[in-house]
Amino acid sequence: MKIAFTSKGKDWNSEVEPRFGRADYILVYDTETESRECIDNTSIRDVEHGAGPKTAKLILDLKPNVLVTGIGPGGNASRVLDKANVEILTGYGDKPILDTCMNLIKELSDK
Amino acid sequence: MKEIVVISGKGGTGKTSITASLATLAREQVVVADCDVDAADLHLLLKPDFASSNDYYSGHSAKIDKNTCIECGACIKACHFEAINSDFVIDEISCEGCGYCEKICPANAISLVDSHVGNWYRSSTKCDNTLVHARLGIGADNSGKLVAMVKKEARQIAEKNNLDMIIIDGSPGIGCPVVSSLSGADLVVLVTEPTISGFHDLKRVYELVDSFNIKAACIINKADINVDICDQIELFLKDKGIEHLVNLPYDERFTNAMLEAKTIIEYDNGQLKALVEESWSKIKTLIK
Repeated sequence: MKIAFTSKGKDWNSEVEPRFGRADYILVYDTETESRECIDNTSIRDVEHGAGPKTAKLILDLKPNVLVTGIGPGGNASRVLDKANVEILTGYGDKPILDTCMNLIKELSDK
Repeated sequence: MKEIVVISGKGGTGKTSITASLATLAREQVVVADCDVDAADLHLLLKPDFASSNDYYSGHSAKIDKNTCIECGACIKACHFEAINSDFVIDEISCEGCGYCEKICPANAISLVDSHVGNWYRSSTKCDNTLVHARLGIGADNSGKLVAMVKKEARQIAEKNNLDMIIIDGSPGIGCPVVSSLSGADLVVLVTEPTISGFHDLKRVYELVDSFNIKAACIINKADINVDICDQIELFLKDKGIEHLVNLPYDERFTNAMLEAKTIIEYDNGQLKALVEESWSKIKTLIK
């Protein structure tokens, strides 16, 4: 299973970026291979309009099962993500990613 | 740090007058961010000093290098915006920055450069707030990018000065700049008026706020101009669980204050000032 986070920084000690569309980095953890990945999304700073759908497309290509973010994607970005069957967990803005990730894995394995 | 975003959906409800009044009450405890950049007017009431000015670039425009240009005319034919004249000079206002001419130029004489579309400023206001604001040139429009940048700057200033609150004057409508001003917000203050379009746009913008699960509060301005619609708005607020802060009456003192470039807090010593103060203290309780 792949878990994606909108992140304020490149490394796993970063906090969850509360903004979806203009998140600078996306961190992905794959529970099967235990691999970690960081996708640089800083080019979004230069995008004037439609940052949400662009970041949504990036996430669509990563094919995560779960997306952890802050206040959540807006209407247009949601419509993109609906196609991808991603479970979106909102309300994690400013939370430490590493702890959140470990807790989630535990929760999901308990299910 | 808490972010309070003031939005209205409809223009002309009194959003900026109220934002400025809240800033006047909060004084140096807050950083104010003007994200209503298309029609930035918060500065008229808060009198910023434009202490630091920075260039803002957005989009591109094409430039022709006269020395390399062979004047073949391919770009003039290709341009859909008729931005290139017969002297091979590009009209910056007509140029959309699409890059078509750059692609097809056989002499590689055309390049795209970043367009300088305005400036953004860090200021101190007459009521000791720090204000982050911007001024755009002719034809330039506000964008999620500019809003994100103004907010980021405001956050950094607040962090540096140990301030725990940012007041954001959001943009009208429900488009990209509004989404950008809402992202990361802790409380949305909706300013509405009891007119058909005021209520309609309130419902529309609330839908957006609700999709982000952000706590919302509402000020009904000019509440007595239509009692029926005002009742309907109050029912709507109750139904949606939106905190109803206060009703402000229609009062020409608001206009007179504006004519003197003052906020109602500076201009009035009676009921109006008290009502805005009541809103501010409720807002402070809501974001605790």
